[in-house]
Amino acid sequence: MTYFIFAGDMLVMLFMCVLVVWVYWRTSDETIDASASIPLEDEKTDG
Amino acid sequence: MATNPVTQETYHDKVVTGLVIFSIFWSVLGMAAGVWVAAELLWPELDFGQEWLSYGRLRTLHTNAVIFGFGVSALMGTAFCSVQRTSHVPLFAPGLAWFCFVCWQLGVLAGGISLLAGWNASKEYAELEWPFDIAITVIWVCFAIVFFGTIAKRRIKPIYVSNWFYGGLIIVIAMLHIVNSLAIPVTFYKSYSLFAGAQDAIVQWWYGHNAVGFLLTGGFLGMLYYFLPKQADQPIWSYRLSIVAFWAFTYSYIWAGPHHLHYNAVPDWVQSLGMVMSLVLLAPSWATMVNGIMTVSGAWRKLKTDPALKFIVLALAFYGLATFEGPMMAIKSVNVVSHFTDWTIGHVHSGALGWNAMITFGTFYFLVPRLAGTELYSTKLANVHFWLAMGGTMLYILAMWGAGVSQGLLWLSLDELGELSFSFKDIMASMAPYYALRFVAGVIFLAGGVLLAYNLLMTIRGRETVRVQPPAVTA
Repeated sequence: MTYFIFAGDMLVMLFMCVLVVWVYWRTSDETIDASASIPLEDEKTDG
Repeated sequence: MATNPVTQETYHDKVVTGLVIFSIFWSVLGMAAGVWVAAELLWPELDFGQEWLSYGRLRTLHTNAVIFGFGVSALMGTAFCSVQRTSHVPLFAPGLAWFCFVCWQLGVLAGGISLLAGWNASKEYAELEWPFDIAITVIWVCFAIVFFGTIAKRRIKPIYVSNWFYGGLIIVIAMLHIVNSLAIPVTFYKSYSLFAGAQDAIVQWWYGHNAVGFLLTGGFLGMLYYFLPKQADQPIWSYRLSIVAFWAFTYSYIWAGPHHLHYNAVPDWVQSLGMVMSLVLLAPSWATMVNGIMTVSGAWRKLKTDPALKFIVLALAFYGLATFEGPMMAIKSVNVVSHFTDWTIGHVHSGALGWNAMITFGTFYFLVPRLAGTELYSTKLANVHFWLAMGGTMLYILAMWGAGVSQGLLWLSLDELGELSFSFKDIMASMAPYYALRFVAGVIFLAGGVLLAYNLLMTIRGRETVRVQPPAVTA
């Protein structure tokens, strides 16, 4: 059972590593900046 | 960049205002019930011999009112508020949103009365009987239709990170609620779980811990990721980190439930897996906390004048504390001491008061004046509330830490013959000073909640919800 838990833990780590690499490679800085700014520009302002 | 069609359409914010008002109402009522049961632990005669005022029934009303009345109303309201803004379109099916609002409030009211009447499914945080379970499912599906329908018709390509968390809340809570509520009805007000024995315990804590995870943590993180940048007036420090944290959180949390069943009649490997996954959770939790604190780092000056931001920063601090304490308590050797003690109650309240309530209070102080198109009625009262909330939470946690660690160590204490050194009765009798402190802490926190209710109701009194249009230009 220890091996099972260890393997599960390693799979979580692998998933996270793949996710981090994917997020960094898949998206450009412009896309990320635009997404992060959504809450700051979501209402019509006068002028 | 694209230009939105010239239109007079506005965001549907009246339903948001309604949900916020009822959330405040349930917070005061639920916390008052909590203070009453804390008093009953000191003065049991406060039930006046009435069954409906007994500890067992009133405590259940307390948890249901604050989680489903205060918490879910706040989450539904802020989800409706933020999803339309981050999608640059009004709500999909606004009539259905009103249906969710009205039926949810009636459900919490009727559910609360049923609990006082003694209807109880005997599952923690899922006490409501089967007719309510069916009603909750219907309302939740409508909530999902409004939320995901709004995202589907969005005029903006990215789905903002707060919507990932709100979406996770809606999907996972639906799954947990339906599976954990599977039961065989015997009468209109009594049913028995479809599961039995250890399986029932595992399903219950798969539900229970993930309700904490995806409702009390994930849902409120959705609130944080939308309202913190608004209040700090700057984007999230690392948007990439927020996405990674979301997936890490979602992937890890679902396994952590069995830590509630350490040293119980479930397989040892299930307990160990729950412990390991709980420790893994430290990474996404603290990533979010660091991301939040760094987002505020450029706006520290606002802390002097903005009570809403103060609440949010304090909420982040308690979030960090609770998400560190939780994994530590999930370690089996620590759990030997903490299990079945008031330490668990202290941990729950460092999250519930320090994180959930604080972030909601901060959000309401920001949101309500904007919904009403005016200034906050009294910044001074909000600042008084801040100190009452912080003092009450700190006192509560310290009292329960003292009580819990004492209980755990005294229960484990053996004499030279290997017999228990202290009887259970004597240990519980020695808890009275801690319980008195907890009662005082609850009164202080409740007093702050009453101030919030007065302040915000005076802010919106006699005012219509302002009409806000989507921006003219969409990225």
